[in-house]
Amino acid sequence: MTNSKIIDQLKKTQILELLKEGKRIDGRIFDEVRELTIDVGVIPKAEGSARVRLGDTEVVSGVKVQPERPFPDTGDQGMLICTAEILPIAHPSAETGPPQPPVVELARVTDRGIRESKMLDMKQLVLEKDKSVIGIFCDNAVTDHDGNLFDACSYAATAAINSCKIPKYEMKDDAPVKIENEFITPPLTTLPVSVTMAKIGDYIVVDPNLDEWSIMDARITITTNSDGNVVALQKGGSGGFTQDDLIKCAEISVRVGSKIRDIIKQSSSGVN
Amino acid sequence: MGGRDTDIVLLDANGIRSDGRKVNETRKVSIKAGVLKNANGSAYIEFGENKILVGVYGPRDVHPKHLSDTDTGILRCRYHMAPFSVGERKNPAPSRREIEISKVIKEALEPAVMLKQFPRTAVDVYMEVLQADGGTRCAALTGASVALADAGIPMRDLVAGCAAGKAADTVILDVNNEEDQAGQADLPIGYMPNLEKITLLQLDGVLTPDEYKKCIEIGIDGCKQVYEIQKKALQEKYFSNGENKQ
Amino acid sequence: MTNDKKRHVIPGELIVSGPYRAEQNTVMEGDKIFATIVGLSDVHDGSVRVIPLTGGYYPKDDDLVIGKIVSHSAMSWEVNINSCYAGMLPATDVFGRDFSSHSDDLTAKLGNGDLIVTRIVNADKTRDPLLTISGRELGKIDSGELVNISPSKVARLIGKRGSMIQTIESGTHAQITIGQNGLVVVSCEDSDGLLKAIKAIELVEEKAHVANLTDQINDMLEIKSD
Repeated sequence: MTNSKIIDQLKKTQILELLKEGKRIDGRIFDEVRELTIDVGVIPKAEGSARVRLGDTEVVSGVKVQPERPFPDTGDQGMLICTAEILPIAHPSAETGPPQPPVVELARVTDRGIRESKMLDMKQLVLEKDKSVIGIFCDNAVTDHDGNLFDACSYAATAAINSCKIPKYEMKDDAPVKIENEFITPPLTTLPVSVTMAKIGDYIVVDPNLDEWSIMDARITITTNSDGNVVALQKGGSGGFTQDDLIKCAEISVRVGSKIRDIIKQSSSGVN
Repeated sequence: MGGRDTDIVLLDANGIRSDGRKVNETRKVSIKAGVLKNANGSAYIEFGENKILVGVYGPRDVHPKHLSDTDTGILRCRYHMAPFSVGERKNPAPSRREIEISKVIKEALEPAVMLKQFPRTAVDVYMEVLQADGGTRCAALTGASVALADAGIPMRDLVAGCAAGKAADTVILDVNNEEDQAGQADLPIGYMPNLEKITLLQLDGVLTPDEYKKCIEIGIDGCKQVYEIQKKALQEKYFSNGENKQ
Repeated sequence: MTNDKKRHVIPGELIVSGPYRAEQNTVMEGDKIFATIVGLSDVHDGSVRVIPLTGGYYPKDDDLVIGKIVSHSAMSWEVNINSCYAGMLPATDVFGRDFSSHSDDLTAKLGNGDLIVTRIVNADKTRDPLLTISGRELGKIDSGELVNISPSKVARLIGKRGSMIQTIESGTHAQITIGQNGLVVVSCEDSDGLLKAIKAIELVEEKAHVANLTDQINDMLEIKSD
């Protein structure tokens, strides 16, 4: 039964009426983000971790670091792979089994946001060129879904990688060996932060909750880095944006993104 | 499993284990009921260094329909480990070990849940291991019982889980990961404390008949201790704001 | 047989031993009666039951519920009534006995997402519960705000002989329709009254088991209690 996806007409009418008055269904203004808390180090045995609560949406991110064989065409770089999945505990309609297109999109957008920003200088994570490099896996698990998983995963991944500890390895007889209790400083270059906006009628709202997510016409996720440059973009939904919309959205994402970047920095203060 | 040569001292001359515990002591257990917004019932459990999040949905519609039973509701369980929960990153796809554990936990909970009154529905229990340190199936089972009670699923009893085992030729309670790797036996138990029935039982290792008896005894005792924590978790969520009586 | 004070119980806990009748949310083994859910045990007049503090809604005959249309066939609508069983509203209930699937269009009357106040006609578990919207106070909901509370708190929200809900309605001038399934529709011309009514409903849900809830509600609505 897909009835959990059918939004009640009363609520839809309500949301639209409120937007006309400049209000949102949960009392926020248009460019306001829900209450955001970020805790790092929540999975101590992993090399890095973070739990993000964005309103009632919750994501747990874990970073594992281990030596890997490099990809054939990038033997001079470490490996970085980000994934995302919506756990079946997160929402009644979340399914187990092979990921459906929306989940695949979530994972790939999360990965692109981290990778394209060059958050980590992968050239510094080589143990022996073409033979052995450091592999960094950032797996993001959505544990509660109340809309805007793109941003929650982006913040969780950035916070987890930003606060992770990378063990020191040395090559012995052609194989990488971990040196216990020794770590290298993660080669961080920037903090990518995504901001997702929904278009509902003629209005653009930041950080849509699940009610707004269910009725929106289109959405856009814009990832910016610490310099305020745009590093990744993703438009979704079956509606469209005007050119003016897009300029406005970029401006919002730089502004809102910078505040969130501060929250991420604060969450890891005292770690690295 | 078991008996690997290791540098760690599993049991020292004073009968103290590698993590400071006595032979009949469980690790620290804490449970919080009702931690997720969307799930009908939920629980978060820390059992030593294990961290497990459980969510329950149901009774709810079954899809595809041919899986449903016209006489009774069905119980479905999924035990799953997050890729970052173990030492070497684990592939997110379900492994054979997770599939087996899911089945064993389902069969540990089935004697407790009463689903005959909900024909054509399913109760889904999802256990997500966020950090693993030995004994995850017992911890997951323990959390699942609390999540089911939180969801209001009728049950004849809660099911509490705890493992007994053997290390350094001594019967011990609540085997952690180090002890599991280097020890000699691991015996996970699931127990219904009011009905006094064992509903989960497995063994990895070698035990003499006497050690086997001792393990079961000490394991049931461990389950009873864990049950007190389960009770506390439900009392804290449901009975703490007001007076005990109306 | 004494009438015991209500006690907090969890599944598997013993409530009483002896010649009692085991009623809702209990199970009998020999002469012992155990609780099967988290709730308050209630022993009186020789019978034992547990009042649930959690759990979903299970359809019962004659219950008034709020439902959402989620799909339809040629002859009926499928209605989400916030339960593990979906409700079935036959087209004849709305179009009358002369209903013909050729000439009458279901979606003209009720479409997906529409909310209705409906009554359960027949809740037999072998098939989906049968609903009706023919009747006073039944039918499509055109306006108001929908609040979702746990079905186990509905009795508390209604109160003894409707006392709690009447207190909230008169204290806020709102009209409140309570579905046994935990869905509540609130309408009020005054937006402050609407907000207050919703907050009062949320407070009842949060503190359903607290002894002085009525006082807290009165305070919140600034009503002097006698």
